[in-house]
Amino acid sequence: MSRLLVVDDEANIRLLYSEELIDEGYEVVTAGTITEATEKLQAGVFDLAILDIKLKNESGIEFLQQLVKERHDMPVILCSAFSCYKDDFSAWLADGYVVKSGDLTELKQEIARVLAKKAAKASK
Amino acid sequence: MEWECCWNRDAISVGECPNIQAGEDDLLTSKRRRILEKCSDCSNFKHDLIRIENESDPVATLVSLFHGESQRQKIQIQSLASFLDNKTLQIRFLHELGYVLQNSVDLEEVLSVALTAITAGKGFGMNRAFLLLKDREAGQLKGHMAIGPRNFEEAVHTWDEIIQNDMDLKTLAQNFRQNKLSAERAKFHDILEQLTFSTANKDHVIIKALDSKRPVLIEDAFHHPDVPSEFARLLGVDTFLLMPLVSRSRRVGMIIADNCITHRHITEEDMHSLESFSFPVAFAIERASLYDKLQVELDRVTEAGKKLKEQQELIVRMEKMALVGRITSSIAHSVRNPLMIIGGFARSLLKNCNTADPQREFMESIVAETRHLESVLDEILNYADSLYPTRDFWDVGQLIDTALRDASDQLTSLGYATVCTSDDNLPPVYIDLKQISYCLRTMLQSDIDGIGEDKTIVITAYRSGDSVVLRVEDRSRRISQEDLDRLLIPFSETRDLGAGLGLALCKAMLEKQGVPFEALADPLKGTVYTIVLPTHKEEQP
Repeated sequence: MSRLLVVDDEANIRLLYSEELIDEGYEVVTAGTITEATEKLQAGVFDLAILDIKLKNESGIEFLQQLVKERHDMPVILCSAFSCYKDDFSAWLADGYVVKSGDLTELKQEIARVLAKKAAKASK
Repeated sequence: MEWECCWNRDAISVGECPNIQAGEDDLLTSKRRRILEKCSDCSNFKHDLIRIENESDPVATLVSLFHGESQRQKIQIQSLASFLDNKTLQIRFLHELGYVLQNSVDLEEVLSVALTAITAGKGFGMNRAFLLLKDREAGQLKGHMAIGPRNFEEAVHTWDEIIQNDMDLKTLAQNFRQNKLSAERAKFHDILEQLTFSTANKDHVIIKALDSKRPVLIEDAFHHPDVPSEFARLLGVDTFLLMPLVSRSRRVGMIIADNCITHRHITEEDMHSLESFSFPVAFAIERASLYDKLQVELDRVTEAGKKLKEQQELIVRMEKMALVGRITSSIAHSVRNPLMIIGGFARSLLKNCNTADPQREFMESIVAETRHLESVLDEILNYADSLYPTRDFWDVGQLIDTALRDASDQLTSLGYATVCTSDDNLPPVYIDLKQISYCLRTMLQSDIDGIGEDKTIVITAYRSGDSVVLRVEDRSRRISQEDLDRLLIPFSETRDLGAGLGLALCKAMLEKQGVPFEALADPLKGTVYTIVLPTHKEEQP
């Protein structure tokens, strides 16, 4: 079972992701701040992180850069209300980009695609 | 002794002196003045002098000597008076000329005045004059203007006209400029065209004169060793004057003057008079040329100032638009998270809801409405982004690839195939890639139902002048031109196509970037979108 870390400052969004992704067969851990996410990352191993870009006073893009440096084997999907970051060079570091929507189909497809890519890379 | 002349009488009566005219009655009673003013030229007085000499009076020789000397000095004084009169006229003319030249900064007017002054009877009275100007950039001395008759009949006609009108220099010059300048240019066109000399040709007599900055009088031109025969033949005169126009140390041009009709001899005096005239003319020509250049620069600066003002207004407008965009964006993002939560949980509930559950219909409504609101939100955010476009040079192929990649999932699911054809070596286009990609994607994914059998979309890119034309041809999506036009108006509903912003937003974005856009529809043949992309920055509004 793949282990996912969901980082979003909105409690209801964390709850929605947990419900939906657990239904999809993933183990889901959530964090509301970057500090909390860092603690969760230190405590365990994750197959993928789903990261919001605007986290109250923190920047998801900066955290993404840190994750790429320190945990280059863990793919990250950016999930944001802002579609404009898709064209931002700094966002290109992420393995996927999804614009937030009540319909989580695209997010689920993206998670499956990125995990499959990671698995294919590991098998080589 | 009886004298023939009245020189020894104190007073005389009217008619006694043949030299006293009407109105000179005071001379009848003034013996001294009569002797000094009239007797010396009187034949009676001369007879009396001969008689005195014949009588061997020793004083007679003395009187005769004084008389002869007096006559000689009188002639000399008359000659000097005549010379002074001429000089006075010349100074008056130069004064008039200087006044006219000082008050003009128009090059054509200055040149008209100069040429008129040379040929006017009250000026230097030459028959014909050519004016050549130095073109520094081309390194040439070029024929620019000419004045004068080409034959005797024309000369007589012109001189009669001048005598009848009796105009001052300024009026003559104005008359020349307004009524004759073009005709004179046309008349001397053949000669002026051939009066072009390279300033590097230092051996040519005209360039030598220009370099020496001194006037040169050429006589016997057809046999003159320094005058090329073709030059002499071109002017067709034996004698002419070369007058360099020098302002300070700069050589401005050259005047060639001659008496081609009257063949009056050109004297050294003529040459010196023209030399003194050439200085103010050269200065006025240079000043007028500089004024012309200044005017061009001023026009350029004015134009730049106008553009700057327009740019400033554009920046202010864009800043206002950007502010509107930021506010819109902020509101839209604040709405997106709650909308996502509502829609997301409604979907979750719907998933676990029994098909017979009466609540299911409500859930479905919530899901459908949140989906609709999300699509509206996407369009609003795209519109907000469109308010501050960022343009750069992009490759057309990259533009098409980006749009196709983004639209591929939907196109594949609907069974569409795409074909791309583009000219080789298309230049980069100056666009906002994000916006134009959005437009292209929207054209590919438009809400128009595909009912045609051929589900192929053909994208063509080709060069047209300074632009690149991008054409999207979709034969399966069919709609009337009227309905398509309505789709280009924001929030205008069509019966079957909803209240989408997509194509309307494309039109607004393209218009904002100054990119021409055309959407043509045929209910039987399909739709064709054409956008014309600029390849230069200047084409932007």
